[in-house]
Amino acid sequence: MIKIPMSNLLIGLFFSASLIAVNAYALDLGKALEDAVKNKVEEVKKGEEKPAPEANTSAVPSPAESTATTPNATATAPEAAPAQSTQPEINWEKPSKAEEIALGREITGSILGAAPLVKDEALQQYVNQVGRWVASQSERADLPWKFGVIDSSDINAFAAPGGYVLITKGLYQKLQNEAQLAGVLGHEIAHVVKKHQLKVLQKQQLLNFGAGKLSDLFGKNDKLAKKAISSGAEISARTLDKDAEFEADRMGLVLSARAGYDAYGLPEVLQTIGQTNKGDSSVALLFKTHPAPDERLAKLGDSVGSSLDKVKAGKTLENRLYELN
Amino acid sequence: MKNNLKLLILISLASPILALAGDAGTALKTDSIRAEPFADAKTVGSINKNDSVDILTKKGAWLQVKTKKTKGWVRLLSVKRGGTSSSGSSIADIASGRAGTGKVVSTTGIRGLSAEDLKAAKFNEEEMKKMESHTLSQADGKSFAKAGGLSAVKMAYLKGVK
Repeated sequence: MIKIPMSNLLIGLFFSASLIAVNAYALDLGKALEDAVKNKVEEVKKGEEKPAPEANTSAVPSPAESTATTPNATATAPEAAPAQSTQPEINWEKPSKAEEIALGREITGSILGAAPLVKDEALQQYVNQVGRWVASQSERADLPWKFGVIDSSDINAFAAPGGYVLITKGLYQKLQNEAQLAGVLGHEIAHVVKKHQLKVLQKQQLLNFGAGKLSDLFGKNDKLAKKAISSGAEISARTLDKDAEFEADRMGLVLSARAGYDAYGLPEVLQTIGQTNKGDSSVALLFKTHPAPDERLAKLGDSVGSSLDKVKAGKTLENRLYELN
Repeated sequence: MKNNLKLLILISLASPILALAGDAGTALKTDSIRAEPFADAKTVGSINKNDSVDILTKKGAWLQVKTKKTKGWVRLLSVKRGGTSSSGSSIADIASGRAGTGKVVSTTGIRGLSAEDLKAAKFNEEEMKKMESHTLSQADGKSFAKAGGLSAVKMAYLKGVK
């Protein structure tokens, strides 16, 4: 198993491994992300205002400290966050739903820049139908959930804050029925519901900028927001810590079962992935940065125990699975 | 008629073969083998982690398996498909070995998604708008579910097991 320094900060992809293709990144993810974000924000700030002070690279105040020392509309805060103080007091500690969605949009849009949607309207509509119904079984049914199949042969799927879920064509083609799709989407939905990715970004932001308000990044204009997180797609290449993945497996299974599907859709997909030749490039990195499918299956089995024995078998709906050519 | 007969013979020949052959499987953990696919059915044996089994058939949450000693039903999630060779330890091999070359792995020509691709990726407004155009309401989801005969089931989330 690879130990990544920021493992507890890492992001919510289902099979994100293949998004990290260069080994060097994997070795120094934490630093790379930090630098990327730092650079972006420096860049943005320099462009924004003339007296751009050196971005605060040395002292990293704790979140609590920083909020205390930079109250709203105080221009006296020394070098910490340059006074963008006319912005509403919104910070990374508690982003609003709208901010969460804006963040997710930037990340997702960047990924779409790397791999566009499969040009098949009926397919895109279909995954939105399944996804929407599964998401409605969660505590965050109110989010404007959006789903898409992207044109990549990699086996992968991922989520971004605010209800964005993408699945690759490569993974979609492995599916045998609608319950399996529901299981995969359920896993991703769980990452959004639990804000796994958002938490990573929050921690990272607070670590780097302490007093930095989300509004500093987003408030001014769209360009600023884009710059601040233009590494969004790259951010999506991180792995979550194991517990977040196991949690998303457990929740994904339940969400799809709540939606009336056969509960074993997700484990079946894990079975399939576990059987994929480990030398296959489409899964090599997936295996590298995620708990092994076996481990995920075993964990899921431990949690399920006998709890599904009394549950009425759900539907698999293999006939309704949209066939992708 | 003759053709139909041939077909029948073919089918009757083929199916027992399929049924007997069984997929290779590997036990993910220690578990009981039961006479019937029920939790309270009689225990007829057990599997230990990494034991090889033949998976004969699936019924609900249960798999019928054959081991060297016995035949019976185990919980679906206690067995994975495939042999032991692809078990967890291989992950470390990948991590330290082949992938450790620092090279981009997706070089097969088909469209992968590498970190480089992502780093270089530019926000694509057009695609984003397309994605947004498919956004559905809760009501849309509901009618889609109804069309497939799906109805919501109450179920608590599962607890993590250490």
